[in-house]
Amino acid sequence: MKIVTKTLVMGLMLLLLGNSYATSKDTAGKILPYPIYQQKLANGLNVVTVPVDSPGLVSFHIVTRVGARNEVEPGVTGFAHFFEHMMFRGTDKYPKEKYSAALKSTGAAANANATQDRTAYHMTGNAAKLELMFELESDRFLNLNYSEHEFKTEAGAVKGEYTKNFASPYSQINEKRSETAFTTHTYSHTTMGYFKDIVDMPNQFEYSKVFFDRYYRPEFNTLLVVGDVTAKQVNALAEKYFGKWQPGSYKSVVPVEPKQQETRFVHLQNGTIPAYFSMSFKGPAFSDTKIDMPALDVLASIVYSNTSELYKKLVIDEQKVRFISGGAGDSRDPGLFTIHVSMMEKDDMPYVMTEIKKAIAKVKAEDVDAKILATTKSNLKYSFAMGIDTPGAIAQSLSHYIQLTGDPESINRLYALYDKVTVENIRMVANKYFKMEQLTVATISEDEKGALK
Amino acid sequence: MKTLKITIAFLLLFTASHAQAMDVVELKQSNSNKVVFKVRFMNGAVADSADKKGLTFATASLMAQGGAGGISYADIQDKMKPWAAGYSVAVDKQVTTFTFQVPVDFVDEFYPLVKNALLTPDFSEKDFSRVMKSQQNYVDQVVRASSDEDYSKFALEDQLFRGGNMQSLLQGTSASVKTIGLDDIKAHYKSTFTRNNISLGIAGNYSEDLLKQFKADMAKISAAEYTPVAPSKARQADGIEVEIIAKDSAFGSAIFTGAPLALTRADDEFAALMIANSWMGEHRKSYSRLYQKIRQTRSMNYGDYSYIEWYSNGGRHQLPPSGVPRTSNYWSIWIRPVQIATQLQSQYPELADIEIGHAHFALRLAIREFDLLIKSGLTQADFEATRTFLRSYSKLYAQSPAQQLGWLMDSKFYGRHDYLTELDALLKNTTLEQVNIALRKHWQTDNMFVTIITDISEAPALAYSLINNSPSPMSYSNLVKSGLPAEVLAEDEEVAVYQLNVKTVNVIKSANTFQ
Repeated sequence: MKIVTKTLVMGLMLLLLGNSYATSKDTAGKILPYPIYQQKLANGLNVVTVPVDSPGLVSFHIVTRVGARNEVEPGVTGFAHFFEHMMFRGTDKYPKEKYSAALKSTGAAANANATQDRTAYHMTGNAAKLELMFELESDRFLNLNYSEHEFKTEAGAVKGEYTKNFASPYSQINEKRSETAFTTHTYSHTTMGYFKDIVDMPNQFEYSKVFFDRYYRPEFNTLLVVGDVTAKQVNALAEKYFGKWQPGSYKSVVPVEPKQQETRFVHLQNGTIPAYFSMSFKGPAFSDTKIDMPALDVLASIVYSNTSELYKKLVIDEQKVRFISGGAGDSRDPGLFTIHVSMMEKDDMPYVMTEIKKAIAKVKAEDVDAKILATTKSNLKYSFAMGIDTPGAIAQSLSHYIQLTGDPESINRLYALYDKVTVENIRMVANKYFKMEQLTVATISEDEKGALK
Repeated sequence: MKTLKITIAFLLLFTASHAQAMDVVELKQSNSNKVVFKVRFMNGAVADSADKKGLTFATASLMAQGGAGGISYADIQDKMKPWAAGYSVAVDKQVTTFTFQVPVDFVDEFYPLVKNALLTPDFSEKDFSRVMKSQQNYVDQVVRASSDEDYSKFALEDQLFRGGNMQSLLQGTSASVKTIGLDDIKAHYKSTFTRNNISLGIAGNYSEDLLKQFKADMAKISAAEYTPVAPSKARQADGIEVEIIAKDSAFGSAIFTGAPLALTRADDEFAALMIANSWMGEHRKSYSRLYQKIRQTRSMNYGDYSYIEWYSNGGRHQLPPSGVPRTSNYWSIWIRPVQIATQLQSQYPELADIEIGHAHFALRLAIREFDLLIKSGLTQADFEATRTFLRSYSKLYAQSPAQQLGWLMDSKFYGRHDYLTELDALLKNTTLEQVNIALRKHWQTDNMFVTIITDISEAPALAYSLINNSPSPMSYSNLVKSGLPAEVLAEDEEVAVYQLNVKTVNVIKSANTFQ
């Protein structure tokens, strides 16, 4: 009986204090030179603190693991992004004007953005204002309240955002590429959504309530604070301001994309920019345990970066190409490995595509040079180390991995996997993912039809 | 209570010296994992002769993206790859700044590349051909087709500085780029990248020996006499002069408007105007006036801001970047793309009969807000809140070593030691009265240049409406209009007939710009 009682008491303590887990103070051998402290509140909200020597400066992020991917119902593409806008429209305690004044008083650089897999809210500023930041964020995440008129009005700003983006033909082809490469999965639409749905957004007030009720819950969110703070301080603030947040019950089910069976083509007739094409192969989902994505990242650097044979031939020597790049975007579900090419002359497109196919055939058939492999691994590690020179940059990096797996330690696991990538792994992923029947080719040129077959 | 100490922390460590007649900013950071070198020349695009616009840009690009010291461009990239080191150049109107960054583990192996890029660029025919093709592409096509917002900003500068050396794009014009030869670049390098107009910066975890070497090497660059070219001043408009640039397939109307400004960061009064500007239109901030009036209340676009100095790449940057100091200044209003008539007509049946979209109304609304502020001045409460905000916010401008170095080097351009620290003291001591004096002295809306990038279908009716000061009632969809408060609708009626001093409206085909 005693044992049972003790277990029960400990269980209650865990419930009260939250479930502290995966906190790692030891950074030896890890890519991130700072310890990551994680604390899970009783309501399921994960709280991440990374203390960094940045006197007086703190970066506070909330990662909502909801993006365009979750827009499964017809007619509501772009809604996660639209909802990000609505989060600035006030609450009962902080109506719009009062919220604006309070936000201004933080003196912080604050903003938000949405992607296909997540919505992120961030503030970087004076560490002395951290409690005010917590108060403001908790109030809108727990108590957002806007009128139907405000909802309709904000839809115009989203239309304005689409309007500014539309000036770029690259935005236009991006939309076409997504809907061509994916027929079923929600990656078929961009984060902005279809224009017809954006125009219809003012009519979706009721759906917006459903959306908030589903996703603005502890289990879909992670708090992340980086900078001049301690985990104790952050955990106490999290408990105080987010402890009463009620978990929800919604399970997001995203449709699975069927296997692509043939090469697909899509074309944009536009002669205002240099001719362009992209080749997008179906790739894997992000994983910090499987070797596929790290191996593809290494491959991308070897085959398509500015030190690749392709780049040297097409950009530097022959000068037929303005730029070429390639890589797999990290995504929660299987996404695309895309090679982008901007041409000097449109008529060279078939030749350049042939050269890219030759490079693909080579990486499928031959081992990459072991020295180049080592060089590339070194580049990946030092690139990361060079990039994390402010609390905001560190938080942004961790936020990226939180959106993918929910766990910031993924960053350390991923970089450990880079170390393990072998020449065999690279051949393996080249053969596994660079399949012509799983390719989507997108082109832009002044011609009525795309020149690539 | 903790306070922001970043600026103070690095202030203690940085020193400036004038060894060998070169300005050097040193920012030693022993706990940093990298070394950042910056090399700046006081030349910039104003150093281009009238018939070779884009020459400084081409020269700097070839130095940063070409072979050097007998090592080919491809080999340089290969060498730097394992270190994840790199370098780039930013050309602006009055300065050219090279930035080199390397992990401290490899700084000794990397440093010769710094030296080579500056002292012994190869200037090979092959690199020249590649770099110039890219520059030609940019002026022929890319600048008009990437972002209508940037396009409108560049087009505004074209108007403001027409006839002067500040007019041209940094990259030049379609015609001028074609005339640039490799010999021009070699001569320009010798004559305008010299020890007489160079300044240096170094930050991070570097050794004293390296610093000494860096200074000694950079002193070996061309000894040619060079006097920085004075930038042309912004023109005074005669009334409101509008240029509408018509594109074949624009989705909205992108607007920039501006007028000369006599102040720069060199003037203490700049801080006072900064407070007024922040209240009116702080970049990408939802609590400033223009944003609230145009975007938040009326749902017209993605954002609306005002500026009292050049703000590079505003669509991408949240915080102002360093590296673009200028002595020839103007203030401006950025109205992000608003809807055009054909789009509104297709979206809402109730707007089927409108003749123009929202550009005229948005311009009237923005200018009216400036007029109201000039008339009534800032309130004490708004002044206090905005000053407090700026004193905190400006400390975020320089966070990384490269940003800190950049801001310190810009400080020297303006004759200051550490502008961000000095700015804090200036803001602290600024009074409401000074702010209201400054805004009335430096802002007026009777004489301005306006640039609007829009669709070819919108241009004629918009031009007619502007030149005739025709009423431009706001055309809301019924969805939005039905919920608008009476005071907003009443204000709309005033805005719709607000008289602008428009004296000239020209419509130009997009293809004819930057030629």
